[in-house]
Amino acid sequence: MSAPFPLGFPAPTAFYLSFYVLTLLIHVMFMSYVLAGTGYLVAVHFLPGGFAGSRHRAPLAEILRDWMPFALSGAITAGVAPLLFVQILYQRAFYTANILLFHRWMAILPVLIAGFYLLYLLKIRWVTEGPPARGGFIALAAWLCFGFTGYSWTENHLLSLQPAAWPVFFGADSLFFWTGALLPRLGLWAAGTIPVMALLLGWQFRLTYEGTPYVPPYEIRRLALVALAGLLLSALAGVGYGSFLSPAAREFVQGAAGEPYLGLALIGWLIQAAIWLTVWKRASLRPGLLGAASLGAFLSVLGMTVLREGVRITSLPAGRLYALHERASQVGGLPVFLFFLVLNAALVGWCIVLARKAKSSPGPGEDLRDLLDRR
Amino acid sequence: MEFPYYPLNDFGPAMKGMVIGGLGIFHVFLAQFAIGGGMLMCYFQWLSQTGREPAAREALDGYFKFLVLVSFVAGALTGVAMWFTTIQISPRTIGMMVEEFHWIWATEWTFFCLEVAAGYAYYRCGGGLADRARMTLLALYSLAAWFSLFWINGILSWQLTPGGWTPAGSVWAGFFNPSFWPSLFYRTFAAMSIAALVACVVVNAHPRLSLGERDALIHRAAHFLIPMALMPVLGLWYLYAIPPDSRAWALGGSAAMTLFTGVAAGASLFVGLYALIGLNLQRVTINGATATLLCGLAFVATGGGEFVREGVRKPYTVRGALFSNSIAPSEVAELRRVGSVTRDPYPLRHPQAYPNDQVRLGAKVFRFLCGVCHTMDGANGLVHLAGTWTLEQLRLNIAKLQLTKPFMPPFAGTADELEALVQLISWTRAGRPEDWPLSNEVPTIVQIDRWLQEAGIHPASQREGKR
Ligand code: HEC
Ligand code: HEM
Repeated sequence: MSAPFPLGFPAPTAFYLSFYVLTLLIHVMFMSYVLAGTGYLVAVHFLPGGFAGSRHRAPLAEILRDWMPFALSGAITAGVAPLLFVQILYQRAFYTANILLFHRWMAILPVLIAGFYLLYLLKIRWVTEGPPARGGFIALAAWLCFGFTGYSWTENHLLSLQPAAWPVFFGADSLFFWTGALLPRLGLWAAGTIPVMALLLGWQFRLTYEGTPYVPPYEIRRLALVALAGLLLSALAGVGYGSFLSPAAREFVQGAAGEPYLGLALIGWLIQAAIWLTVWKRASLRPGLLGAASLGAFLSVLGMTVLREGVRITSLPAGRLYALHERASQVGGLPVFLFFLVLNAALVGWCIVLARKAKSSPGPGEDLRDLLDRR
Repeated sequence: MEFPYYPLNDFGPAMKGMVIGGLGIFHVFLAQFAIGGGMLMCYFQWLSQTGREPAAREALDGYFKFLVLVSFVAGALTGVAMWFTTIQISPRTIGMMVEEFHWIWATEWTFFCLEVAAGYAYYRCGGGLADRARMTLLALYSLAAWFSLFWINGILSWQLTPGGWTPAGSVWAGFFNPSFWPSLFYRTFAAMSIAALVACVVVNAHPRLSLGERDALIHRAAHFLIPMALMPVLGLWYLYAIPPDSRAWALGGSAAMTLFTGVAAGASLFVGLYALIGLNLQRVTINGATATLLCGLAFVATGGGEFVREGVRKPYTVRGALFSNSIAPSEVAELRRVGSVTRDPYPLRHPQAYPNDQVRLGAKVFRFLCGVCHTMDGANGLVHLAGTWTLEQLRLNIAKLQLTKPFMPPFAGTADELEALVQLISWTRAGRPEDWPLSNEVPTIVQIDRWLQEAGIHPASQREGKR
């Protein structure tokens, strides 16, 4: 392949790949907030000095807790679109892995329902005003639910890539699919979600405290440290995962199709690292810094998502896949979709505008500001 | 042609249809609650902002919290669960649906996004908004919820009544199919009824409303039950739109289907009569316990309806295009020639549990051809259904499967495979002894072959059509 992704693919394939990658990016944004965010909540509850028994010492945790159910709704809703496109792109491989994992796979649904209600539980007074360990254990349970979900997606993904293993796996009636690449890949995802979450939380923090005279610097420093740790860990996991790549996959990553994206991911990583170091030094979350970090995060996540896709599609039999995409691209309905995509995106924007007008409502920000002012 | 084999799991004593039916009931109930709930909240908002029912605002916010907790969480996830379950049971069916309707589904997804955005905006900020903004958010929310029904309804009704659709034709010919409108209206009214019944429960449980307020609000909510009066007509329209053989199962042809139709109709009738006569005409009031009971009945009606909808598609999952066992009608002839499982790469799970290779072959054939609708000795178990049959009867009735019961697809394997299946059934019937003789008489196979040819490769509905 001699052109950058997705140009080297036949047009229908390139078309669906683009939709897939774009919608998966939205999923990754929400999912990162949920996964790394609940992890953060676990940490602040258990680490000495993290929560310190009073909620106004931990405004970041407060924001997370407040927005977490919405973020999970977002992760689920945003997951539906890539779920649709993955079925067109890799129909048979995706379905087969689903079926092979059977109970294990289906378990993510009750587990997510449980996780959802745990997030609501985190918001009630019995927990917010109880001992830190109470909230800590609930957050931990929720984090395990989401970690299990992420693990399942990774396991499913890897199993779908190994057609030769399918009949054996089926015959052995196995529950889990184990392969050496699983842990580094999972580590890469788990670590990669941390800087994304830190960024989103940074923006929320900034918007919540805009114009307030008192901004707690230790919270900002801590956020920067969390982001930096996530960046470091993801680099390590990335190198680890890279060593498991097949020759074909490596060819993609280092060839004309993948290399530009590897470059983007690295540049994005460097930008993020530089910005979070600055944030740590100055204890400041100026919009300029957050904007630059956003660009960095976007480049990294885009780069990695494209590499992930290239590695997959080059490891499956191309001919049959292309024929399927060709056939799918001939059915109607695309104009209707595009029309409603634009219309509904505008309506979503309108909802946000309306919601921001609700000045008098006791939103989380107001709540916090009151608390901090009283201090 | 290369047949797309998938691994097929054993669901234990449960029939696969039961699994999807059971989950489907929950999901449909929750989704319809969300749809009707949106409309009802718009109505309550209007009642409050026009001063007709000042307490409506209070009730509305209580109702919305409940809706978010139940429908945003469980509704959304059971929706994903429906998808995953369909993949488990028939990947080819869902694959075909996705191929044909992915832009419809993608369109539906944009409405999900709007639903979540409008819903959460209201949830977080509704308390601090002016009436107009509240109404806007609620209207967007319910519009989005109703449109998600609109889109999915086209796909699901297409499965039973593809109408003028052909694989090469327009997607809209499939979408606006003969049962599209009756089932859209039917579901809309069902959604309104469920929302009204849930409102009765929530209003009764609301701590800050006076008795008088409760009473007034319950009678307002009961207006949403009035369209139920049209549901019998819509039901008949729906029955008229579906294929005659499907209609016949629902109305007497299959004991189970008829029972479910009766349960659905009976439960709806009861709720409907209570709603129309009691709540709307006599203006009796309704307490929390009765409201909960009526909700339960609505759930039963939804359940009966969903089972019938899933059931009457047999022997197809997509009428005319794909049989329930994931075989396309055009593939039957080839599978009869080369064997249904000859190229199936997936081994048997516990091969040593069977006495010989013939029975093992039978087990693979069962898994592939019959397993979607039958178990061996659990729900709809073959051993029970054919418990008293002689070997000859087994052979004849399976060879002429589509004539034995018209809601079964034609047998899509070789005569040898059929005999292996017969051996599996009689070995299981005999208590699974350790030793079992091979059955390899040539005349038997020849006879089976003749029966297979007599039965032909077409489903019963088409055979009759030809005569
Ligand atoms: C589309 C679903 C479906 C498939 C596939 C299917 N069946 Fe059936 N079968 C049914 C239903 C429904 C009944 C009726 C059960 C009842 O009457 O309670 C039935 C009934 C039967 C009966 C009893 C008939 C009678 O007259 O009482 C036998 C025997 C049978 N099936 C065998 C098979 C075999 C063998 C296969 C596989 C080759 C098979 N079926 C495939 C749905 C199916
Ligand atoms: C909080 C819950 C969730 C978490 C933590 C999570 C996490 C993840 C992770 C880590 C991946 C990448 C897997 C890999 O590449 O190895 C992924 C992919 C994906 N997720 Fe989620 N996910 C969650 C919920 C969901 C839900 C509910 C859906 C469906 C509606 C969904 C749809 C998808 C899809 C379609 C992919 C792409 C899979 C592929 O291409 O193979 N996710 N998710």
